[in-house]
Amino acid sequence: MSTPFLRPRLRGTLSALTVALLGFAPVAHAQSLLNVSYDPTRELYRAYNELFEKHWLAEGNSRVQIETSHGGSGAQARAVVDGLSAQVVTLALAADIDRIAETGKLPTDWQSRLPHNSSPYTSTIVFLVREGNPKGIKDWGDLTQDGVEVITPNPKTSGGARWNYLAAWAWAEKNDRDPKEFLTELFQHVPVLDTGARGSTTTFAQRGIGDVLLAWENEAYLALEELGEDQFDIVVPSVSVLAEPPVALVPGNIGSPEQQKLADEYLNYLYSPEAQALAFKYFYRAWDTSQADPEDVARFPEIDLVTIADFGGWGKVQSEHFGDGGFFDQIYAPK
Amino acid sequence: MASTPRKPLIQRSPMPGLGLSMGITIAMLSIVVLIPIGALLTRGALFGPENMWGVINRDRVWAALYLSFRLSFLAAVFNLVFGVLLAWVLARYRFPGRRLLDAAVDLPFALPTAVAGIALTALYAPNGLFGQYARDIGLALTGTGWKIAYTQWGIFIALVFVGLPFVTRTVQPVIEEVEREVEEASATLGASRLYTLRRVIWPTLAPAALTGFALALARAVGEYGSVIFIAGNIPMRTEIAPLLIVIQLEEFNYDGAAAIGIAMLVISFVALLAINLIHIWSRRRIGNV
Repeated sequence: MSTPFLRPRLRGTLSALTVALLGFAPVAHAQSLLNVSYDPTRELYRAYNELFEKHWLAEGNSRVQIETSHGGSGAQARAVVDGLSAQVVTLALAADIDRIAETGKLPTDWQSRLPHNSSPYTSTIVFLVREGNPKGIKDWGDLTQDGVEVITPNPKTSGGARWNYLAAWAWAEKNDRDPKEFLTELFQHVPVLDTGARGSTTTFAQRGIGDVLLAWENEAYLALEELGEDQFDIVVPSVSVLAEPPVALVPGNIGSPEQQKLADEYLNYLYSPEAQALAFKYFYRAWDTSQADPEDVARFPEIDLVTIADFGGWGKVQSEHFGDGGFFDQIYAPK
Repeated sequence: MASTPRKPLIQRSPMPGLGLSMGITIAMLSIVVLIPIGALLTRGALFGPENMWGVINRDRVWAALYLSFRLSFLAAVFNLVFGVLLAWVLARYRFPGRRLLDAAVDLPFALPTAVAGIALTALYAPNGLFGQYARDIGLALTGTGWKIAYTQWGIFIALVFVGLPFVTRTVQPVIEEVEREVEEASATLGASRLYTLRRVIWPTLAPAALTGFALALARAVGEYGSVIFIAGNIPMRTEIAPLLIVIQLEEFNYDGAAAIGIAMLVISFVALLAINLIHIWSRRRIGNV
């Protein structure tokens, strides 16, 4: 006789389910903004959010709540793809924002909506070496000398590492070396592949591993500032890449016209002389020097910078170099 | 008898509250465990077995799976030996600071794994407290400095760390329950100490120790947070399988990630099944003694 028991049991199950599901409804704020960004911009956006809030209040608007989330660029993009409600994304690679665009949350021509390929600031890849440069490293070619250990994150998991890889590729092409061979040789000198740029900086600076760290220029200066100028030197190679970390509005996650206005202004103000000065201060190569501290601008030496367009754009680079079975995978394929 | 009454699907217990407690159980299990694993398997099924095999059947994936399971197994064996020893010391001896030591065993549960990974790396890196000795000893003996962090040894240490409490915590209560009289009886009947240990004490501890071993193994296989800092993450050498999954995700290759995830799930399942069979076998053997 099982039927009489069924109903109370079913009711019990349902009520338990209800209890378990209660309290999971998302809460919406009208005047709030979520900026989903990548790892090394932590310091920059902390300062920029303060600057922007002042500007926003000065314009006669009411107080707003701006939040910024940081993490690996790819992981952050994936979070937005999977439903993280970011109104603004400021990531390391255009390719990552392209992935979000594929979901229809923002138009595919997003990069033409703001000046300078939607990149209010840029950076490049430089070498960080130990004080006095004991191994005499001056350019990319020196990295494959016997006994030199190179620290870089994994291009598969780190946006910055992809720029490292491309900069090395560009140097090899300009110096009549076979780029594939050069990179294979280069990665044989890599004893540790961290998953992110910050991890590599720690491995090099705190753990004392390796002779040279391939790093974002802003990250290298930050390391100098935080860890002591008497421990490391920055070496600028003859060729590097112009890394353009782009920003974009995500219309699919905009809740109201007020939020639209807030998000628009948040991105536009990044191009203002004040914000540009701030970017210079945090070791980014920005565009507008009018209000920047001349000292902040002068510390960036001229380099022969290759852009992603020279490689044929991210779509091509991503699949050829970093995709499944791409050039980077071939480096580690057993011979 | 013409007809026997049909047995109800769920035997009604004299205890009340079956409907409610069963409901809560199934709801929680579904939300937390069954639905996510079901989604993983569905993803794999939609991807197709052939495609999945294409992702898994590559040298680099095999190397990572072999590394993950081999080191997890070794770490679990290590934890089995030292976890039982630790449980024995904590349960049988009284010494100052015992409670403190007892509490410290749980730390690997509580500490965020990333913190543990960074702390272990700091200790075992060539310029760390222990790492420098390894480097110096290696230099003296072989001419090249030995490395612990950024090698498979580093991964092993991290896996031992995360798995340690499992064996100790499953074995400890059993040791506390064992009657001293049984050991004394064994001794008065003329058994040597080793014989008593092997034939009297170990059989009572074995089921709990095996459970702890299985838990430690399962925990180590899935560990990502702490290992990622101390492993060099070099493909074919120090790249663990969970990292390969993360790499697939970075490429937005959800299917590839699901394929490797399912491969790990299957291997883990087989391993845990094997441990359970040993369990049953040893219980039967002890029962026959």
